[in-house]
Amino acid sequence: MRTVDLIALLARDVRMTPAGAATRKLLMGLAVGGAVTLALVVLGLHCQPLEAAARQPWFWMKASYTGLLTVAAAITVRRLAVPGRRPGIAPAVALLIILAMIGLGAGQILAASSATRLDLWLGHTWKVCSPLILLLALPIYGCEVVALRALAPTRPAVAGAAAGLAAGALAATFYGLHCPEQAAAFVATWYTLGIAAATALGAALGARLLRW
Amino acid sequence: MRRWPRGIEPSTVEPKVDIEERLRPLMNRSLAGDADAHRQLLSALGGHLRSYFARRIGTGASEVEDLVQETLLAVHLKRDTYDRALPFTPWAYAVARYKLIDHLRRRHRRVHVPLEDAGVLFAADDSEERVVQTDLDRLLERLPDRQRTLLEDVKLQGLSIEEAARKRGVTAVSARVMLHRTLKWLNRAWHDENG
Repeated sequence: MRTVDLIALLARDVRMTPAGAATRKLLMGLAVGGAVTLALVVLGLHCQPLEAAARQPWFWMKASYTGLLTVAAAITVRRLAVPGRRPGIAPAVALLIILAMIGLGAGQILAASSATRLDLWLGHTWKVCSPLILLLALPIYGCEVVALRALAPTRPAVAGAAAGLAAGALAATFYGLHCPEQAAAFVATWYTLGIAAATALGAALGARLLRW
Repeated sequence: MRRWPRGIEPSTVEPKVDIEERLRPLMNRSLAGDADAHRQLLSALGGHLRSYFARRIGTGASEVEDLVQETLLAVHLKRDTYDRALPFTPWAYAVARYKLIDHLRRRHRRVHVPLEDAGVLFAADDSEERVVQTDLDRLLERLPDRQRTLLEDVKLQGLSIEEAARKRGVTAVSARVMLHRTLKWLNRAWHDENG
């Protein structure tokens, strides 16, 4: 087919195109995937008694760590979802949030007596925490991939990593409704490990799934 | 604002700015549903893409033309990822560079495509198309009859969607949907076949 013929053909397929498609599709993906994960947490695991938990600082420590990380990651995904945009400062902010959490956890470990250190670090649920966060991230990541495939990320692996980070952080936020752990050292280690696993998986799958 | 000596008109003042000023309104009109602007935009881009890809891969005309067509199809199908508040040429350059990298990677060639200013895409223009058999022809043969005849009516006979629909006894809406789906299928099949 000659290129002029192709162009004539494409010109027959022109319609009004609404603005804001990228943001809308990505938010939709985050919302649908997030709803699935939230339902899994509420129905499959059990939630903490929220009224009592909401009065505890540790509850908000967890929620703000993963919540802020979700926002920074989601902004990064949005930037990487379309051609010609640089990621901006959002990835650096995400990294800073993670480093701040690790600093908080390390400080807590250093300040604790040697008898309580291991308990602070491992809590009661360290074996299941990271795998559950990774598992809960999958529905969100899946929905984000659907959204990104309708867009045009020019760096598929990097966009996939950002989508994995956002999925992991949002999944960890919902997991925080169930998780009884209270130590910063625990969150800095096992939450972060689960989110990192989601990021790595997101990069590996993204390199294959997000090409267009 | 640059000042030029009196009486001397520069032949090309900042060509990239000119191109941005020419293409961006076309893109905006195309997004508003103006088919004529869309055709002008794709024709202008086609010339720049042909020249850019030829400079980068420098091989046979058919490979370059395949890449031009694949990129134009992507520009068409992905046009809703262009943000109207931003300049158009960096978006177009990023699409072209992505398609070039993807093309080289699929052929397992060593990939080094420097990230340059968008101006590199618009530095030259080659609107002269060589007649070649492209990948698209091979893919079209694999289409179901209904879709292929619709495409041929529109492409070869220059019928409008409404005319083509009437000829085949379907509604204009379903012909429109069929054309759009066929273009998306072509884009995917192209990728799968060469991946």
